[in-house]
Amino acid sequence: MSSSDPSKLISKADNLTKLSLTRWSADWKTATPLYEQAANGFRVSKDYENAKLSFEKASKGQEMLSSPWDAAKHMESAAALAKELRNWTEVIDFYRRASELYMQCDRPQPASDSLAKAARALEDALPDDAVQLYTDACVILEDDGKEQMAFDLYRAAASIYVKLEKYTDAATFLLRLGLAADKCNARNSQCKAYLSAIIVYLYAHDLQQAEKCYNDCSQIDAFLSSDQSRCASKLLSAYREGDVEEINRVAHSSTISNLDNVIIKLARKLPTGDVAEIKGDADKGVEEALDENDLT
Amino acid sequence: MSVIDILTRVDVICKKYDKYDVGKQRDQNVSGDDAFARAYAAVEADIEAALEKAELSSKEKSKASAVAVNAEIRRTKARLLEEVPKLQRLAVKKVKGISTEEMAARNDLVLALPDRIQAIPDGTAAPKQTGGWMSSAPSASRTAIKFDSDGRFDDEYFQESEQSSQFRQEYEMRRIKQDQGLEMISEGLDTLKNMAHDMNEELDRQVPLMDEIDTKVDKAASDLKNTNVRLKDTVTQLRSSRNFCIDIILLCIVLGIAAYLYNVLKK
Repeated sequence: MSSSDPSKLISKADNLTKLSLTRWSADWKTATPLYEQAANGFRVSKDYENAKLSFEKASKGQEMLSSPWDAAKHMESAAALAKELRNWTEVIDFYRRASELYMQCDRPQPASDSLAKAARALEDALPDDAVQLYTDACVILEDDGKEQMAFDLYRAAASIYVKLEKYTDAATFLLRLGLAADKCNARNSQCKAYLSAIIVYLYAHDLQQAEKCYNDCSQIDAFLSSDQSRCASKLLSAYREGDVEEINRVAHSSTISNLDNVIIKLARKLPTGDVAEIKGDADKGVEEALDENDLT
Repeated sequence: MSVIDILTRVDVICKKYDKYDVGKQRDQNVSGDDAFARAYAAVEADIEAALEKAELSSKEKSKASAVAVNAEIRRTKARLLEEVPKLQRLAVKKVKGISTEEMAARNDLVLALPDRIQAIPDGTAAPKQTGGWMSSAPSASRTAIKFDSDGRFDDEYFQESEQSSQFRQEYEMRRIKQDQGLEMISEGLDTLKNMAHDMNEELDRQVPLMDEIDTKVDKAASDLKNTNVRLKDTVTQLRSSRNFCIDIILLCIVLGIAAYLYNVLKK
């Protein structure tokens, strides 16, 4: 049976499901296995378009047979084939549908997994959609109370933002990662997330924002007493002094080398732009404040 | 009991009853009465020990231990020089049982002691003026601070000898190397710490998953047990011995009928 032509199988299955005068209700029970076999046959012969179609139909059949789990699995296979065909809208649709089916089975983890797979597939082609998918995946996990699994997703989303050069968004994501880590008492990840956020702000050449971020994070005891906060304060003071060598030295220290690869690359490229300029700005800011207070 | 055991036991018993041995005690008491002889023997022993240490330090390869040993020798020498005036007083005291020649001999011995003490090599370079030193020793208070080099603080004393500058260089080099080594160790420890923290978090992540697996497997196991029991009941029912006997009897009847028919047909 499996060696017979997949197109014959699929036409047979179609006949079983098409409604006509002789057939008043579609016979999904026999049709679904035929669809599955046809899909496998197509995949082996590398006919991705037809394989994708057959998987779609198989998934629909499983849905009709009230087994959302199998339906979701077929949807995922269809989506993987759509990725081969580089049909990005279909990829998004299929993975989203698969995720919904998984939620129907009351299994949030595979649901977020499929969204994450979608996001990974789209990283290069449609980065904005990818970020959206990552966010949705994280939301699903957080609702289920499994923030620990969300760490990797947050990190991936932040790295996409960095690639898109949207540094404030990246830093926001890293702060969200810190929040999730706080909920699960993952102190090391939390401190690393905060340090990464500060580095991203510095890379965007925004010293005030970086300092504000550092001050905010210092409110948290876990961060305040950690290696990472010491490293951050060294970095910020080096920036304030305008000492390029010191910045380079801190950036090459082992604390920063323990962070994510993308962040390490940013740190090595610090300082961006003219550090003396920042120093001048900072001094000017202080001077202006003095002027305001000067009542004479 | 072997010979060795006997010997050991005899030794122990002798030692225990030594205090009752009158002859031995008298000998000991002679030197015990003589405080001078005791003190002199002690000083002699110390001088011998110091000489040995001096020899060791001259053979020593590592400068640091050589310096430490030399410092100890100097301290011992200072202490011994303190003892010498005491010995002199004891030598002059009259002790019963000692002849006048022996007394004179003792005095000479005591006078020779300071020279012997000073002669112990301790690594200091400057030569000594033992005579001047000794003349002031008895009258100088015993609580005075002792200088090893007789208080001659001329230019030569503070000049860096080749030995000491070399020593200092070596010390600096070793310190730099040590610092480098410590830095490498610290970096390695940093990496280890980071890895350990990550492993910790990963394991924390897996704990709830393991709990889930645990519950699911328990449920599956109990389902399986249930099913097994029901299956056993069904199979027993199907293949109970009563049914089995009925099967055999019916089989025999069928065979009997077949045989009868065969016989009838054969005829």
